Amino acid sequence: MNTKNTANNANIAKEQIKVEVLPHAKDLKSVMLYYLIKGELYSKLPWKKTAWTCAGFPVEFLWAYDMFPLHPENMSTVAAARKQSLRLIEHTEAMGYSRDLCSYCKTSMGAFDTGIKTTLGGIAKPDLVTCTNTICDTHWKWFQIMAEKMNVPFYMFDIPKWVSGTSEKKLEEYIDYVVEQFHDFSAFMERNFGKKLNEKKMRKTLATSTELTNLWREIYEYRKAVPSPYSAAETSASFFPLVVLPGKKIGVKFYKKILGDIQMRVAETKGTLPEGKEQFRLLFEGIPFWYRMRFMFDLARYGAVVTYEPYTYSFSPVKPSADVPFEQALRAVAKIMMDLPYSYNLERRIDYFNNAVDEYKIDGVILHENMSCRPSSTGMIDLKNAIQKEKNIPVLILQCDMNDPRAFAEGPIMTRVESFIEMMRENKKKRG
Amino acid sequence: MNKIAFFDSSHDLPEEIISAAGYIPYKILGDVHASNEPADQYLQNFFCPAAKSFFTEALHKSGDWSGIVVAQGCNTTNRHFDVWKMHIKTPFLYWFNAPVKNDEIALGFMKKEIKAFIDALESFFKVKIGDDKIRESIRVANEIKKLLQKLSAMRSTKDIPNRDYLQAILVTLQQNRMDAVASLEQISREWSARPAFPSGKKKALLTGSDVSYPEWMDTLDKCDVRVVRDDLSIGERYFSGLIPESGDPIESLARYYLNIPRPATKPGLRGRIEFLKSILRTTPIDGIVSQNLKFCEPFAYDSVSVNNALKEDGHKLIHFEREFTPVTDQQIVTRLTAFTETL
Ligand code: SF4
Ligand code: SF4
Repeated sequence: MNTKNTANNANIAKEQIKVEVLPHAKDLKSVMLYYLIKGELYSKLPWKKTAWTCAGFPVEFLWAYDMFPLHPENMSTVAAARKQSLRLIEHTEAMGYSRDLCSYCKTSMGAFDTGIKTTLGGIAKPDLVTCTNTICDTHWKWFQIMAEKMNVPFYMFDIPKWVSGTSEKKLEEYIDYVVEQFHDFSAFMERNFGKKLNEKKMRKTLATSTELTNLWREIYEYRKAVPSPYSAAETSASFFPLVVLPGKKIGVKFYKKILGDIQMRVAETKGTLPEGKEQFRLLFEGIPFWYRMRFMFDLARYGAVVTYEPYTYSFSPVKPSADVPFEQALRAVAKIMMDLPYSYNLERRIDYFNNAVDEYKIDGVILHENMSCRPSSTGMIDLKNAIQKEKNIPVLILQCDMNDPRAFAEGPIMTRVESFIEMMRENKKKRG
Repeated sequence: MNKIAFFDSSHDLPEEIISAAGYIPYKILGDVHASNEPADQYLQNFFCPAAKSFFTEALHKSGDWSGIVVAQGCNTTNRHFDVWKMHIKTPFLYWFNAPVKNDEIALGFMKKEIKAFIDALESFFKVKIGDDKIRESIRVANEIKKLLQKLSAMRSTKDIPNRDYLQAILVTLQQNRMDAVASLEQISREWSARPAFPSGKKKALLTGSDVSYPEWMDTLDKCDVRVVRDDLSIGERYFSGLIPESGDPIESLARYYLNIPRPATKPGLRGRIEFLKSILRTTPIDGIVSQNLKFCEPFAYDSVSVNNALKEDGHKLIHFEREFTPVTDQQIVTRLTAFTETL
């Protein structure tokens, strides 16, 4: 490690500034427990059914079939947070999987193979494995392998890619293709499980899901306030209900409480950092380092607050209203599947980031160049250059990995963060 | 005749449509001898080096091409498209969303994609691509496939170095397809006169990532491994089946592309394994060489299941990861030599 920079670290981080978490942040624990216990119950009761599914999949569909969605990716984050991911990844690598493959996949495969407890990131065998290719190929490659291994029915949604320059006409064709697959999925479910889609249940689920995403988006409106009332130190965990429990009231209740806390803070012009300590507002792109969640808290030492993350926001698309004709609702869901900010094409991504920089009054951007996630890392260099040029703020690319702690080199990473903080300081001075 | 180049990570783009439009379909294959430095400015060090080489080639040569088409294959195709759009100067950059699945719904979608592709070419290049022209280009494509089938079969009986086989396909993928027929006929005559399969060589089945440069095939020969069968896209997947010549040509193309043996970039793991097993049942093979280009994810995911299934059947198999370089990797040579000795 560079000793000169270590000395610099000491100068910059003189003060111990702490993130003040929201009063109701602790309630997340019971939401997670609800999910884990319910998942275990559904897995054990012979008349109940479960499905493995992935990010970008309309989970509401599964609820409408009374299938409990188990999320291998999500359980991988649990394993990382519980410091289990490394041994699970190494276990999977010993089975022959390359070091270069996605660490969510390897964590999950290791968790299944070793049979670790759910509280440590374990996951039960499901009745169905279903996924999409909308975000990445990893999802279906991984799920296909596991479906074969577990001898479980597998259904994959093929989602066309909304690349830069896709015309409206093409989009409509793409939507037609996805909607046809929804109908095919219904036939598949009936064939394999004798289950019919319960339209009433689907509408109800969509209504609750809409309530949940609306609340999350409202929370993000408040995050625009200065000082920021809520940071990635908390959202990185609290977005969990959006991923695994859309359509469930328990998530809505939790978000209402969180929103209440935030409204109170904003009314009192209070932030997530102690009064007067917020110096830099950051945008963080990418999946957090789950094995090192402290990173988001550590930024507070420099007076830096992650005010916006496209990743956590991605899970709150505007869902179709419950009272539109069913076919129209299906088309809307199909469009959402192609339209996640996390997988925006480069042109849209640049516009989206530039807007976010303005709206959230961002002083600097950290881009997590995730070695596990080539899809999200593609175009990052152009994204960096575009933001720097158009918004005239520093952008830091951190090459790392969300679940594999071997990629996190503490010293060099923190040194780079500190240089970045200095750049933001200089830039702010220059801009007055 | 002008060229329309295409980035196709397997064999997903109906190149017959480009021929029918009066252009040469030129598959971008990169150049293993050229530095990837131009691509490094935009694509990180943990991306597939072959795709980076394709990008480098496009940065240098796009001025020679009338346009570029990118077909959905692995994740690099759809994500890199945006980067290509930003940096490569070309009057015509087109995204062909080949479906990933191959059921009847995907077939309908593929037909729409082919029609949209025809419309885009017709309107941009002011050409008419009638059914008769597509049929003619299907006929030529089938002639090529039949010739390649013949050449491929000779690998088991004649002395055909690995490099020669790969080069026959590489040349086909980048030239006027009518000229390719003539070249392949010439090669076929020449190969027929070759001596019998050399006794010191072992017969191998090659699987994994596409190999796009002959130097790597030389490494196999150096270790006395002769590839007599394979399931690569720059290989048997390109000619394992023929395109139906009767009926609606768009339907024929759609059916053909969705029904050729599945690569790792498409779901159908069991199908891939079955295809490899069928090769092993019909061709005497001494061993299997499974290789993965560094950072090529689709094949890296498949390799464990595929290789285990083949090994369970009692086949001898070696697997390794390779870099994208024309330089011989001595470690691979050592491992391959040891493997050949066990055969
Ligand atoms: S981290 Fe990236 S590659 Fe891995 S599952 Fe998520 S989106 Fe896919
Ligand atoms: S080598 Fe692999 S990752 Fe690279 S373009 Fe081909 S299929 Fe994609």
